[in-house]
Amino acid sequence: MDPVQPAGENYANPKTCLFHVLFKAAALAFYILSAIFIDSFVIIFVVTVFLAALDFWVVKNVSGRILVGLRWWNEIDEQGESVWKFECLDQESLARMNKKDSWLFWWTLYLTAVAWIFLGIFSLIRFQADYLLVVGVCLSLSIANIVGFTKCRKDAKKQIQQFATQTIASHFTSSLQSAFSVV
Amino acid sequence: MSYGDTIPLHPSSQSDIDEIENLINAGAHSATVLPARAPSPSRASIPVSHSPFPLPPYQKMPPSSSPTPVVSSVPAAAATTTTAPGGSSRIGISTDALESPPDTLTEPVFDTVKRDLTRIVSNLKLVVFPNPYREDPGRALRDWDLWGPFFFIVFLGLTLSWSASVKKSEVFAVAFAILAAGAIILTLNVLLLGGHIIFFQSLSLLGYCLFPLAVGALVCMLEGNVIIKIVVVSMTLAWSCWAAYPFISTAVNPRRKALALYPVFLMYISVGFFIIAID
Repeated sequence: MDPVQPAGENYANPKTCLFHVLFKAAALAFYILSAIFIDSFVIIFVVTVFLAALDFWVVKNVSGRILVGLRWWNEIDEQGESVWKFECLDQESLARMNKKDSWLFWWTLYLTAVAWIFLGIFSLIRFQADYLLVVGVCLSLSIANIVGFTKCRKDAKKQIQQFATQTIASHFTSSLQSAFSVV
Repeated sequence: MSYGDTIPLHPSSQSDIDEIENLINAGAHSATVLPARAPSPSRASIPVSHSPFPLPPYQKMPPSSSPTPVVSSVPAAAATTTTAPGGSSRIGISTDALESPPDTLTEPVFDTVKRDLTRIVSNLKLVVFPNPYREDPGRALRDWDLWGPFFFIVFLGLTLSWSASVKKSEVFAVAFAILAAGAIILTLNVLLLGGHIIFFQSLSLLGYCLFPLAVGALVCMLEGNVIIKIVVVSMTLAWSCWAAYPFISTAVNPRRKALALYPVFLMYISVGFFIIAID
């Protein structure tokens, strides 16, 4: 799952990238290889789901922040309504983000979900409902992260637009005012 | 001010963004700098101490030391991005303070871990143990999280699987599936009865209320005598039901309280039987 990048900048945060990929790859590898070596379903289930949950936490809280400067969470406000909060770094830092890092981030996110879907199809074909449970849990964790970060990125883009619109508006206003003050 | 369930998505085209980014890079540096948003303080502590206003997650534009026409339009614009008036107290950040202010986006990893662990413990204490906030159940699980329930369900499944002498894998799979699916179905039940509860909050609550049963299962695993098992399980069962009662009952119409509570109690009772019957 290691991407081959065109020459240019290197990874800015190699350790974070490593952890981002590590738990995903470990969960997938353990699940695939365990079918050969381990007999007990309980161990397969617990270890795979634990690795997937760990990966979910790492992506949501650590690599999302560091690699792409995005963060999402859910809060319940005073009225008892559920509010999804999105947070992103300011525009300068966002522009300074390493391209390689964000490429790795997004691609491994999507590829993992696709891999779990394939494994799910396999276990469906073999009529193994237990393994379908494992795949279902891991898949829902991956999809939750994908949806959260995609919404967060769209939100960040929307804020760029809003800020730019307001900057344009304020420049327009100031130039208008200076024009009128001359007259 | 409430945002509704999701932030509405705006269509964004790449050419617009490129154009706008050029504009930003060309002219906007002199005007304002956007700091990263500080998080709402209620995330770091027990939900009682809410900030007096919900902090917006969006970036805000500080009316910093910039030309006056910009300042007059910026607060107006900032107000339209749902900035609360009290938020101006945070705006002391001028253009030269480019070091990032402490917030959840730049905190060290250890802080995040600590914060999440503290949240699990505080949620557990709120739900399962007697405390003054049980009077107002809606506020208690404000900072819901699913880690606690995940650990408890897995722990319960493992304990049951360990206690079983045969078919360990099936016992675990069945226990996990019943608890997870049961929590989801019970939440749907409350929602369909016209109750006011957030989906994840209710899942979180039902998971945390499994804590006494998990403890009971552990004790039963270590202790073989059936009588003792029955006593222990009934005690922990009563504790679980007592923990879940206020949250569920306040969420629904009083006339439908029993309809909402009965399935919850039924699920916990069946888990209790499961624990006793495992040999």
